[in-house]
Amino acid sequence: MDVGGTFTDRAALADDGRVVAHKVLSTPGDQGEGVVNSLDGLAARAEAIVHGTTVVTNLLLERRGARVVLVTTAGAEDVLFLRRQDRAALYDLSRHHPAPLVAREDVIGVRERLVVRAAEPAAELLGAGHGAGSSQSALVEHALDSAELARVARETLARDPEIVLVALVHSYADASHEQAIARALRAARPDLEVVTSADVLPEIREYERFATASAEAYSRPSVIRYLDGLAARLAAAEQPAPSVMTSGGGMQPAATAARHAAALALSGPAGGIVGAAAVLAALRAMASPGATNASGATSASGAISASGAQALREFADALTMDIGGTSADAGLILGGEPLVESGGEVAGVPIALPRVLVETVSAGGGSIAWIDDGGALRVGPRSAGARPGPVAFGRGGSEPTVTDAQVVLGRIVAREMSGGVSLDVDGARAAIAALAKRLGSDVERTARAILAIADAEMARALRRVSVERGVDPRQCALVAFGGGGPLHACALADALAMPSIIVPPFAGVLSAVGLALAPERREAAMSLLAPTSALTRERVEAAVESLSESLGRDAAQRSASPAPQGDNLLSNTAERREPHPRPSRPLQPATPRPQASEAQRTFARMRYRGQGHEIEIAVFPGDDGSALATRFAEVHAARYGFTLPAEAEVVALRHEAGEPARAVRFEREDDPASVIGPATVQLPDATLYVADGWRATPLPIGGWLLERR
Amino acid sequence: MTSALDLAVWSSAFAMVAEEMGSVLIRGSLSPNIRERRDASCALFDANGQMIAQAAHIPVHLGALPEAVRAVRAQGPRPGDVFLLNSPWAGGSHLPDLTMVEAIALDGANGPEVCGYAVVRAHHADVGGMSPGSMPQGATELVQEGLVLPPVRLVREGVQDEELLALVLANVRTPDERRGDLAAQRASCTAGANGWRALIQRHGRAAVEQAGASLLDYAERRARARLAQIEGATSVAEDALEGDGVSEREVPLKVALRVHDGALHLDFAGTSPMVAGNVNCPIQVTRAAALFVLRSILDDDVPTNDGIARPIVITTPEDCCVAAKAPAAVAAGNVEMSQRITDLLFAALAAAGVDVPAQGQGTMNNVTFGGRGWTFYETLGGGQGASAKGPGPSGVHVGMSNTRNTPIESLEHAYPIVIERYALREGSGGAGQHRGGEGVIRRYRVLEPCTVTLLTERRARAPKGAHGGGDGACGENLLNGAPLPAKCRRALQPGDVLEIRTPGGGGWG
Repeated sequence: MDVGGTFTDRAALADDGRVVAHKVLSTPGDQGEGVVNSLDGLAARAEAIVHGTTVVTNLLLERRGARVVLVTTAGAEDVLFLRRQDRAALYDLSRHHPAPLVAREDVIGVRERLVVRAAEPAAELLGAGHGAGSSQSALVEHALDSAELARVARETLARDPEIVLVALVHSYADASHEQAIARALRAARPDLEVVTSADVLPEIREYERFATASAEAYSRPSVIRYLDGLAARLAAAEQPAPSVMTSGGGMQPAATAARHAAALALSGPAGGIVGAAAVLAALRAMASPGATNASGATSASGAISASGAQALREFADALTMDIGGTSADAGLILGGEPLVESGGEVAGVPIALPRVLVETVSAGGGSIAWIDDGGALRVGPRSAGARPGPVAFGRGGSEPTVTDAQVVLGRIVAREMSGGVSLDVDGARAAIAALAKRLGSDVERTARAILAIADAEMARALRRVSVERGVDPRQCALVAFGGGGPLHACALADALAMPSIIVPPFAGVLSAVGLALAPERREAAMSLLAPTSALTRERVEAAVESLSESLGRDAAQRSASPAPQGDNLLSNTAERREPHPRPSRPLQPATPRPQASEAQRTFARMRYRGQGHEIEIAVFPGDDGSALATRFAEVHAARYGFTLPAEAEVVALRHEAGEPARAVRFEREDDPASVIGPATVQLPDATLYVADGWRATPLPIGGWLLERR
Repeated sequence: MTSALDLAVWSSAFAMVAEEMGSVLIRGSLSPNIRERRDASCALFDANGQMIAQAAHIPVHLGALPEAVRAVRAQGPRPGDVFLLNSPWAGGSHLPDLTMVEAIALDGANGPEVCGYAVVRAHHADVGGMSPGSMPQGATELVQEGLVLPPVRLVREGVQDEELLALVLANVRTPDERRGDLAAQRASCTAGANGWRALIQRHGRAAVEQAGASLLDYAERRARARLAQIEGATSVAEDALEGDGVSEREVPLKVALRVHDGALHLDFAGTSPMVAGNVNCPIQVTRAAALFVLRSILDDDVPTNDGIARPIVITTPEDCCVAAKAPAAVAAGNVEMSQRITDLLFAALAAAGVDVPAQGQGTMNNVTFGGRGWTFYETLGGGQGASAKGPGPSGVHVGMSNTRNTPIESLEHAYPIVIERYALREGSGGAGQHRGGEGVIRRYRVLEPCTVTLLTERRARAPKGAHGGGDGACGENLLNGAPLPAKCRRALQPGDVLEIRTPGGGGWG
């Protein structure tokens, strides 16, 4: 179930792997109502329910979260207010950053201080012993005494907080003071919800850690209420308790997810990219030798070319573009999986947790075209949204939008609008004609220019997610979905010289499909901060072993107690999954994998000594420090074009274990012919525009493959 | 010319390449000043040496980069050459800003040609000279401030000159860090060159050049449209620096502003001659300040390129501290004189009836520590002035800087310093209907013997309020609680506590 601003989309995955999609109106008051409504018509009790939610995104945007009291190191009370010191806009001197999530009068300083020093880093690092964190142990500069603990607990409770955040300087290295304060607070008021910063994000850089933890505290009470309410509604409807999609693209049981609220901030868009990855996997399976009928045979009328079949087999790397009414989300799939990184902001709040990479630009169907005082045609960032909407929708919109340009160019036609909306073509044309007149141009040319500007914004987002990560878009397919994706796909592929486009089945509700397919994923991490020369094969193996064991314990605990509290599954460190090197491991076909085999993988976050940003490198069995150093140097050279005569270090290890993805069977029900552009094709929830020079071939799994003629 | 319809498309395409350059630099570099504080800027120039696009980083860098490209072009660059420079007399600003300029090679009919320039300027934590960190107080000649590099070829047609690199590294205190930062800087240039070539390969050289030229014209039109609103305005403004680092005698600045025929004329007659200390700045820094001020009264979406600079006409006396010549010392000119010129020009605009904010902190609060085997440089934010729109932002960099802070945890991890306090300076913003932004308090305790150099301003002349608003509080520098001068160098012993209180912004109304 994917909850959006207007619709709640449901994709049901049947026992035989078939997908059934369904849309109902969203219920903004309580999203859960729409979720339960969308279950109407399901034949049987669902086995599992996975939910993509905008609850966290919305409460951050609208600043409707909990009242948080922050307990922090004395002297550092203003960290959230000072941010990183750069201003909100380089040239607009009056602009302010969005306000922090904690009020300044709700900050309590505590007299304690840890210091972490690498004054003689070489000696200290080389001497690093075993296990996590030993090389960055903190020195106690000012001890935390019991009188201070009592004072802090007293002052905190006197403010009657909804939730308390404990965030201390250097807690990423040593969380003992944070934990002592949390214990004291819970002892003083057992029902008090307490969040500690190291539990949310055990990483250096106090602002990013405090801010991320503040998002957790701010969101958690609402998320707990929402998910509790949803579980109750579902229980009443005799449905199972829900799982929730995280920003990282995995899913978690609601009880766990509620205590990782900040990790839900990009729950919605993540689903779309996971869905796109599933479609690619299905395509690879279909086209792989030995699978039934790769080229041509399955599709009666539109044979896929030999090169197309070849391309399908290789569809492991792709860019994704999800275009809605007000924004467009670009994403990246590498080696068949959504790229996961740490960092980014949601509604002006930095959330440095792992998330499926999504680059959002404010260009969508509702983006408004206008002329600036230098005489240039511009598009967005203002949007007509759902209300009043584009002129063509006749709901009171008067300013020309991207959708109006599509209508004027005949790419959206009246009979194709779902929901019984009739198109006001004349109105759209008149609005664009007014712009054209001011530009000294004609209507068609102006409409095309509006689309070109929106396309350029979107193309820029696609380039940011690819080129900046050392990925060449010319080697990727474009997966275009959302209501507007298939309309812009050809122009975007042309702009980035991408060879092929996949318009997936269920293009309009792909996010919901992704939710239905999402695997459960667990992660554990440890900080290491060791030079590669100090890493023997045995030490690497021991570290991986201990991470693997801790995941095993987690899983055991989870099955023992259905509602684990404050565990630490998502708290760590995924920076990025690497495109290089991808050893020639065979592509995984999306055929069902044995349920028992859990996929386990380990990654090392590495950098040259002195760098401040890490690259995530895959760890393979048998690796020692020098193997990792070699692999790191290759990736560094590929990404940045240079290596340094400096030693590489491993900052942290991350281990993940996941259930296998659910098996899905996409099947085509209709039997259309190939389409030569320029032409439009009406899809169930979207319109496909096949541009001049392109040919669209129906895919046996549903959806379309577009290639240049 | 490129049609109005396509300008926004091209603007995105160029800006994207510059953003990629910035990303490569920050992720690849070693020193906290570049990777954490982002004291660096990236830009793309066309084959004629005009700045087409920039990544939005540091105003004082970007406005001054065209001079660097001019200086490189005077050397007859070959395709694939990468120049390194920092001389203020040949395109530089102050010596720590090592600037790399790659002449982008493109295969043409008659072999490779230069099709544009990728430029990266980054503030390095040490380039030698009389004091660690190369931001000395009391220097009177440029050569005291560090290694001086006129435009020299670090890379000749694609091949790096290892001997030149060895010479540079032999003259700095932290060579390994410099080697890494320079490698990242070069990688950033490469990213820019690749991006520029990709645009040309896709659209053709003529179309790219035409688009670049049209974007310059467009930005110029936007700037002139704004100036047309104040055509005929004239005003005069005066201000002063609080000493040149050698003496505490004020250094007076004066400008006469006139908007005539769509151009902004700025005449610095009445401004001090060059001074003995290092607050002088080369003319390109003055131009950068003028560009910044004009840019900040334009709408936020105007692309920042050389076109905006076209309507700006600057005149200075022959001997003038804002148009310094050899052998003047300039380290503080780039950071402090540039801020004062900005204040001066905003004051002139206000006097001419333009609605501008009250004065911000007007200083970068340069703090440089140096000990055995380490140097650490940072600048501190303060209060922004309030405006008709609302209160001034607190704890931010104003004017010509926009660097980030050094996280307490990163700083303490890397250097023998403990940050005892990092806070907003309550009550420092000027009173008014809209309050000025608050300054910052930063208290350092050092754990090893070291030196500290301070180059600060607005310790005696407060940031002014506007429309009846109160002044912001002056900044203060304290060593173990006792006041320090605005510009000074001190030896510190373990346990010594340095506290910097940065100025608040002026109030409004």
